[in-house]
Order: sequence, then C-alpha cells, then structure tokens
Amino acid sequence: MPLQSKAFQRWLHGVAPDASTADVCRIAGIKRTTLAQQLVRGKVAESTLVSISRGFHINPVQALSTFDLYSELRGDPVPPTPCELVSQVATIDLLRAVVDRSEPGSTPAPHLSEPPHPTSVRNWVDAIDDGELRHRVSLATGIAPQNFSAHLTANRLPPELAVATSRAAGVGPAGGLVAGGLITEAEAGWPPDARRKALDAMSQSSLVTLAGERLLALGKTLRRQEQDHERTERIWENLG
Amino acid sequence: MTAVLPWVTLVVCLATTLARIPSALRGENRDVFYIFSLITLSIFISIEAPYLVIDGWLGGMNIGNLVLRFLLYATFYFMGIKIAMAFGSASAVRAIRGPIGITAAVLVGALTIYFFAITDTRGSSAGMSGLTWGPSLDGYAAMGRLYPGFVAACLVPAIWRTVASTAPVLLRVASGFLLLGLCLLLLSQFFPLIPFSEAWLRVLINYSAAMATCIGLAGIWFSKAYARRKQRLLA
Repeated sequence: MPLQSKAFQRWLHGVAPDASTADVCRIAGIKRTTLAQQLVRGKVAESTLVSISRGFHINPVQALSTFDLYSELRGDPVPPTPCELVSQVATIDLLRAVVDRSEPGSTPAPHLSEPPHPTSVRNWVDAIDDGELRHRVSLATGIAPQNFSAHLTANRLPPELAVATSRAAGVGPAGGLVAGGLITEAEAGWPPDARRKALDAMSQSSLVTLAGERLLALGKTLRRQEQDHERTERIWENLG
Repeated sequence: MTAVLPWVTLVVCLATTLARIPSALRGENRDVFYIFSLITLSIFISIEAPYLVIDGWLGGMNIGNLVLRFLLYATFYFMGIKIAMAFGSASAVRAIRGPIGITAAVLVGALTIYFFAITDTRGSSAGMSGLTWGPSLDGYAAMGRLYPGFVAACLVPAIWRTVASTAPVLLRVASGFLLLGLCLLLLSQFFPLIPFSEAWLRVLINYSAAMATCIGLAGIWFSKAYARRKQRLLA
C-alpha cells in the first residue's frame, strides 16, 4: 500500500514549507493532476515521493525512511551482497564481461549500464533466493505466489513488496528498490564501482555459468514473445 | 428499443460489409467479405418489414424463415472454420469441418426441414411469432439455435485464450466482443425458459449477439490496420 496522504503532506511541509503545489510539481517534474489525484485518493505513490525528493535534493531513501512503512531504511545503508550486485548487471554487459575475460585486452570494458535492466527484478530475486524465499514472502505479505511470479515476469516490483522480500531474504532493505527501478544504486548507497568489482571478482566458471543461465532465460522469453507474435499474425492474416 | 436494435445491427453489419469492398476487390481475404455479406443478408431478412416482402414473394407461408435458417447455418459453418483457423484451434476446425460437425450440420438441417414440413406455417410473420406455437415449432426454433450454439461452443476456448493473452490491446478488445457475441449464442440455448411475455429479451439477445460478433470481427480488422500503420510510422 502506498504512502498515506496525510503523512505525505506532513513530510512535504517539512521539506518545502513555502512551496505551492504547482511549484512542487514543476520542480519534481510530475504532473499536477497526478499528484492531486493521488492526494484525493489518500494514497501517494512512492515514485512521486522519490521524484519530489530528487527535485529538492534530498536522498529519496532517507525521505522514504521517515514513513513507518519504510522505517527499515533508516540508518546507514546496508552494503549489498556480491550476488545482488551482479544481478543488477545487464545481460549484455555480462556477455561483454565473458568476452573480455576470454580475449583480454581486445576492447576496453565500457561502463556498465545503470540498473534496472530488462530482467532486473527476476535476477535480483533469484540472486537472494535460498529456495524458500518466495514461500516466506507470500507468508509474510499474503501475496499469492502466482502474483509474485507475475511481478517478476513483468519486471515490476512494488516498493513495499521489494522491502518485504529483502527482509525475508535477510539482505539490505534498499536492494529491491534498485532492482525495481524506484531508486538509483547511488541513492541506495552502493559504491559507484561496486557492480564492476563484484563482476571482476567472479571466477570465470561462475561468470560463464551465470551468463549461460541468463541466456537460457532470455531464450525462453523470446520464444514466448515469438509465439505470441505468430498467434497475433495468424488472426490478422485470417480475419484482417 | 428492441424495435430499433435490429435496424442498428443491420446498419453496423452493412457498413462493415461496404467498408470491406475495396480490400475484397484487391483480393485480400475475400472470405471475410463473404462472411460479412452473409451476416448482413441474414439480418436483413430477419427484420419484419423486409421479411414480409420477401416471404410474400415466396408464397407467404414462411419459407422465407426456412431460407433464413439455412443462410444462418451456412454463415456459421464458414465463419466458424475461418475463426477457428485464425485463432489457431485445430481441434475446433476438426469439430466443425470433421465428421462430427458435418453430421451435426446435416442432422440439424434435416430436422429443420422436417419440423417445418409438419407445421402449419401459413401466414407470414417475422420470427414466425404470429403462428400458433406447438411442439413442432419449438423443435424448429431449437434447431435454429442449436447449430450456431454448437459452433460457438467450439470457438469459445481458443478466443478466450487470446483475450487473456498478451496480444495487442485492440486485438484483445475485439476478440472480447467476438467472445461476447458467441457467449450470447450459447445463452440463447436457454430461450425456452423465457416466458412468452418477455419475448423482447430474445430479440435483445439475438441481435446483441449478431452486433457483438460483427463489431468483434470488424475490430480485429481495425486492430490490424492500426498496428500496421503504427509500424509504418515507426519505420
């Protein structure tokens, strides 16, 4: 459940006591109607809070942590595990790393693209899953396992679920927010070269195995997309 | 409202048929044009004013209704096969075109003629509602609902899969209309449960079914045109 609008307005007053709603929206780059609608409904999306925090140069994680729902984010950031870091390396960057390792010195390694990447959420959950994680998350939050799966497939992770998943896995609370695209890795307190270091620290065998797993999953997704596409085309060919 | 609905349905069907003429002339999917023409013709004959004229030519003993029944059977046979192929259901194609489907069609056709022949059908009236209803007319009407219902039942699962899939939204909405139309045909199997005083309900269901089916088929066509256009603009 997103943030209560009362608590949100209290927070906003603390952040920008003199700014009008129009100013806030302009600075944060959000639509006035969007914010108004969320306030009227009594629930403000976390992404709105993050945009406003950025607009006013406040760390969004700290801003989130002032709400009871996200109290776990208070205090110093918990450093991410190597697995989490590697999970947020895009598949194409991972493949480049494999090539670089196999033929060193051929091309200088380009910068890793920022998370989230197209399978960030699933890769993150897989990275912290001990085999029982999904079960524990669904017990703790009441989310049905198939709905949790649907989020992973859609590469979506609602912030509250992200934090609950971190908690169930015993990792830092901000990792899921990075994977879900709510905040950047810098905002989560990850050192700028942490992902590169974690990637370089992997043995060649585990790097290649991980790349293989990613490719296998990508192949499955692509096949499903192609099948969907063929189905659509057949309908159009026959009835269009 | 039930007096206007048939005419509205006719206008929708006719407009779609006319809109398909250019592509039919170009040779694109002529079958779909024929299917729309058949649906339009069936709707036209089923409406009271044209029905009375046409049945008058045919001798005023409701042979027009018999013709309408067979037009509908033909429409559903061809439309059923085309839709089943489009939605990739080999089992539905087999069910409609295979031995079971042909047997069902022949049986329904024969029984339709039989029930018609043993009924006193003198006195033109649309939907034969002006005649004295007995078991034979009930049987005749049931046959008229049964075959479309059979075809609809064959198609529903495959169309549902598309509605629930990740296909383009417009295509899913159009398939939803088609599904709605076919489900109404399945619902029409329960017409005998509707009291005679509520006859408007049957009219409503029948024409809504035709309209939803027509909108669905036209919508699929539209969704294709829309997707192609978007593709061209992106390219």
